[in-house]
Amino acid sequence: MHDLLQREMSLSLFGIFTFWAVVMLVIVLGFVTYAIYFERKILGWMQSRIGPNRVGPLGLLQTVADILKLLMKEDTIPRKADRPFFILAPIIVYVPSFAVIATIPFAENLYNANLNVGILYYAALSSISTIGIVLGGWASNNKYALLGGMRSAAQMISYEIPLVISVVGIVMMSGSLNLHTIVSQQTGGFWNWNFLPQIVGFAVFIVAAISELNRTPFDLPEAESELVAGYHVEYSGFRFAFFMLAEYVYVFALSALATVLFLGGWDAPLPFLDFIPGIFWFILKFAFFVFFLIWIRGTLPRVRIDQLMGLGWKVLLPLALVNIIITAVYMEIVK
Amino acid sequence: MKGLMKGLGVTFKNMTRKKVTSAYPDVPVEMPDRFRGIQYLDPEKCIVCFQCERICPTECLKLTGKPNPDPEKKGKVLETYDINFEICILCDLCTEVCPTEAIVMTNNFELSAYSRDDFYKNLQWLHANNTNVRKENHPAASKGGAK
Repeated sequence: MHDLLQREMSLSLFGIFTFWAVVMLVIVLGFVTYAIYFERKILGWMQSRIGPNRVGPLGLLQTVADILKLLMKEDTIPRKADRPFFILAPIIVYVPSFAVIATIPFAENLYNANLNVGILYYAALSSISTIGIVLGGWASNNKYALLGGMRSAAQMISYEIPLVISVVGIVMMSGSLNLHTIVSQQTGGFWNWNFLPQIVGFAVFIVAAISELNRTPFDLPEAESELVAGYHVEYSGFRFAFFMLAEYVYVFALSALATVLFLGGWDAPLPFLDFIPGIFWFILKFAFFVFFLIWIRGTLPRVRIDQLMGLGWKVLLPLALVNIIITAVYMEIVK
Repeated sequence: MKGLMKGLGVTFKNMTRKKVTSAYPDVPVEMPDRFRGIQYLDPEKCIVCFQCERICPTECLKLTGKPNPDPEKKGKVLETYDINFEICILCDLCTEVCPTEAIVMTNNFELSAYSRDDFYKNLQWLHANNTNVRKENHPAASKGGAK
């Protein structure tokens, strides 16, 4: 992929880029389909019931049936709704979620782009989705949607700061924002991975990540029983599918980022297991992180909006700052 | 923090336990004996006393009798017996009041049909419906003899 980016642009090169982008999109969509299936199955198992098991063998085609249903629904737009923004909002939410996958390295030679500012690119792009959410809430011409959109924007902004600051400790230790450099600093077994020296940063990152993804316990903006589904109450059919898709693509992107930053990317946990290709370890850690997100969803109740804001500003942000100070002091002492 | 860890442990352990989902319709549901499903009629036992028709709260029972064709015997014999099953509420009063237990309930409840005409049950159908018949038919009667 690296030499492809160095060549001069031509129509055939554009065709190659489009092809690989479509391949990436198909992989991500496949992940989303089975992430939704496994989420419903695992949540069901944790709640003493079996999840979907009738559509297709073992219920594997359940998500396909659901997506087909969503695509066949009538596309209603409320009459007084702001039409251009109503249509634009899901697009603004979805595009950054797919665009951030460009920077994440999946294995030593499996990456899309080797940006020197990988983490910054991720943090910047994921903030753009917040605009889409506020836009969706406003354009729906519905006071509950507006409230939901505002709450969601407040939540995402207040948790993005601890998210990025918790990563600064890793940047200090690795000396670079480049995700490849960060992974290469973690090679050599699981005691070298960043989650051990940066355990406080890892904890802050997990909590902030769950909040960024709008998942339980922080899913107040989209809860059906609170706030009547929040900012996507007026959306139906494939526009709603877009919001759901954006959320699950963010799960993919954030889990991949967490794997790369804290769990060692494609590094094998014990050095003698090096013969197994890196992508296998990446997928394993990535799957564990997604399972952990689903596990947390099945365990915790929903947090109230004021408790949520209090947690973000009064607990996570100071913890992240303390993490930076401790890392800086430690690096000074060790040097 | 400790509570969170314990909660996570509980949820994880619950994944390994037996599920409470019942696999109906792949696995049939065993109804208890006193379940009130559609009726079974034994025309031999019926003495055409009209008590069931009188007591039915929705008036869904209609029956006619004719004098016994055998000139030696007295009493009436059942000629037609119709239950309009669309309005039958399966309340079991006809069974409770029948002196000869000619009409009893069964445990059959899977009765979907494609046309409403199929819900007008006649004597032949009710007599042919002899699977899963209830054994205990007069639960309101006191046990150990009437007082």
